[in-house]
Amino acid sequence: MFRQLRTALRTGIATEPVAAAGEIERVGARLASEVARLFGRSLAIRQVDAGSCNGCELEITGLTGPHYDLERFGLRFVASPRHADCLLVTGPVTRNMAEALRRTWQATPDPKFVVAVGDCGRDGGLFRGSYAVVGGVADVVPVDAVIPGCPPSPAALLAGLLEAIGRPRR
Amino acid sequence: MNRLVYGVIAAMGIVAAGLGGYGMAGGAGTLRLAWLVPLGGLELTLDPLGGLFLGLIGLAAAPASVYGMGDPDGGGRGRLAYAVFVASMCLVPLAANTMTFLIAWELMSLASYALVLHDRESEESVRAGWIYAVMTHAGLACLLAGMLLLGAEVGSQRFADWRAAAPALAPATRDLAFVLLALGFAGKAGVIPLHVWLPLAHPAAPSHVSALMSGVMIKLGIYGLLRVSLDWLGVGPPWWGATLLVAGAVSSVIGVLYALVEHDLKRLLAFHSIENIGIILLGIGSAALYRVAGLDALARLGLIAALYHTVNHAAFKALLFLGAGAVVHATGTRNMEAMGGLIKRMPWTAGCFLVGSAAIAALPPLNGFVSEWLTFLALFQNTRLDAVGQNLVFTLGIASLALTGGLAMACFVKAFGITFLALPRSDAAAGAHEASPPMRLAMLTLAAACVALGLGPTLVVPVFGSVAAAILKTPPSATGGDWLTLRVAGEFASLSTAAIAVALAASLLVPFAAFWILGAARRTRAYETWGCGRIVQTARMEYTATAFANPFKRVFDFFYRPSKRLDIEFHPESRFFVERIEYENPTRSIFDDWLYRPALELLQAAARAVGALQSGSANQYLAYILVALLLMLVLA
Repeated sequence: MFRQLRTALRTGIATEPVAAAGEIERVGARLASEVARLFGRSLAIRQVDAGSCNGCELEITGLTGPHYDLERFGLRFVASPRHADCLLVTGPVTRNMAEALRRTWQATPDPKFVVAVGDCGRDGGLFRGSYAVVGGVADVVPVDAVIPGCPPSPAALLAGLLEAIGRPRR
Repeated sequence: MNRLVYGVIAAMGIVAAGLGGYGMAGGAGTLRLAWLVPLGGLELTLDPLGGLFLGLIGLAAAPASVYGMGDPDGGGRGRLAYAVFVASMCLVPLAANTMTFLIAWELMSLASYALVLHDRESEESVRAGWIYAVMTHAGLACLLAGMLLLGAEVGSQRFADWRAAAPALAPATRDLAFVLLALGFAGKAGVIPLHVWLPLAHPAAPSHVSALMSGVMIKLGIYGLLRVSLDWLGVGPPWWGATLLVAGAVSSVIGVLYALVEHDLKRLLAFHSIENIGIILLGIGSAALYRVAGLDALARLGLIAALYHTVNHAAFKALLFLGAGAVVHATGTRNMEAMGGLIKRMPWTAGCFLVGSAAIAALPPLNGFVSEWLTFLALFQNTRLDAVGQNLVFTLGIASLALTGGLAMACFVKAFGITFLALPRSDAAAGAHEASPPMRLAMLTLAAACVALGLGPTLVVPVFGSVAAAILKTPPSATGGDWLTLRVAGEFASLSTAAIAVALAASLLVPFAAFWILGAARRTRAYETWGCGRIVQTARMEYTATAFANPFKRVFDFFYRPSKRLDIEFHPESRFFVERIEYENPTRSIFDDWLYRPALELLQAAARAVGALQSGSANQYLAYILVALLLMLVLA
């Protein structure tokens, strides 16, 4: 405990000033109004890694940081599919994760929508045809929207989510 | 036979409780049998404080004995010791002179020693019994010295005479007597650092005895501390109260810290007894300090909090020990890591244990909450004292009580969750069975007592108030409030646990009512419990008690000083395949390392030095006699 406190005191403040981000703010404002209109101001997202290289995860994690801070737009990552409106699935779906993904989808309450993230999530990407891979996310669970990119930038992720929630759902 | 003996003891407990109630209500009585024992004779007196503790012993002994009736492996052996144990405990708060008190006290110690040695084959029990015997007799030596000192100074061995003569005694004598008696009683109460025997001895005894040892016997240490700090020696200097307060603060925090990393269910409960003794001492210490300052109403409040917590702790700790006993009997182990899933196999035990856990974690509306709330109030009012040093001591008490409350909560989340929830972690836990009917009856009675003491503070606080007033020799106050709300210290604070209980129950129903009124969709889709998408769930994937305790172990590493040992055996062909991993992360006791071991080493070194005189040679002994004779002649 004392060691942690000492380290914190020695390190001091290590953050950098924020650069202006015009595109993010524009997309974010529209996203916020859509989320407010459709989801009662809060969209709960469960992220599922179905076999990703973690490139997409790095970008998704960036969304939660102080720079993008997606919570101010009403989006929130939750710890269980039971709490989620939306599944954000990354990676080619490996054989090991196919059943887990299917169960996660089933455990998510209706109404729900699934967004496949990255080129791998779209169709297996670089790993398509591998013996260890089932295919894209759509080969395992119904997908409502795709955000392509390898990996998609945080801004692209926000834009993709905006597009996904604007669409009619099953 | 078994049932008869335990039935008689249970009936005896109820009679004792009735007598205690009579004493609390103001009934007094004295019994003198001068011929029975030498040096003052047997003398028993009933007064409000003694009545309270007598009632407590009786009310705890009754369910414990009922439990003993149904306990298939705890009952047979040790019936006589158990009967002597209960009877001598009943005598302690009634004793009115040194001789009677010490005989009852020692009988209680010896009987409990015999009960600790219940499992004679186990080396652990024998060691526990040995340490218990040493510690309890060291305490007895302190008590004996203190009582003889007072007896010699006052010229009487009767406690009533001490009370009358105390204000006239020299301050140094009173201080010395206080230190000796407080040390003796604190050792029995398990106050840190005199606690070492407690976590060893309590788990070793059969569970109904553990319940009485933890619930009642250590309370007699509290009884003694109350007598010493507030009654026999009159109004003492402020440092008496401050010492008790600091001891309480230290005991509460350190007791719960040890409990957090303990995975032996019964030992965990034993460490919680140390914690709760600390909380009681916070109340007693504040009462003593307020009394010196002349704030009678606050002194009464502190004492009410202490007495209330004493009774509450007896109720929930006896309940938890009985529940733990049922679990240990069903699974054959005390190790929590081998339990789990018991809520489905022993629902009654689990329900009662949950009530006890919520009560000890001070969750409203149960009894632990009320008495800890009162203790907080008593401590917070220290701003009315005009002494910076004392205010600092009070602040320490407040901080440690707050920390203790949080840690106790975490500890009982662990104790209940790991023991009763999830999947069974061993075959024994998977094959566990519900406790026998008498055991269930005993646990249900105590659980009902916890709920009643929580919901009815307006009924019990005036009773404790009159006992407190009798000790402090002040007129009884009107603390109590109306039938629903407890009011403390004028309009300073009020509490209605009944209203809290209603609000909690309503908040459970509100969402359902709201959905019904709003006409929400009632379409349901049944699907299996969410298990993180895993295909197979086994007990090896579960959260363990060790994992639960680990964050605390890291945060408080300066206190636990954990040592780590990791032993990995790799496959001879490749280091990527592990054949066997052994991991150990034990904590070390600072009291063993820095207090008891050096003291024992010093003692042994001294014994070796003196042992040099004892050579075994007759010539040398003759020389000693000669030298001694010569010295005597020269000096004379």
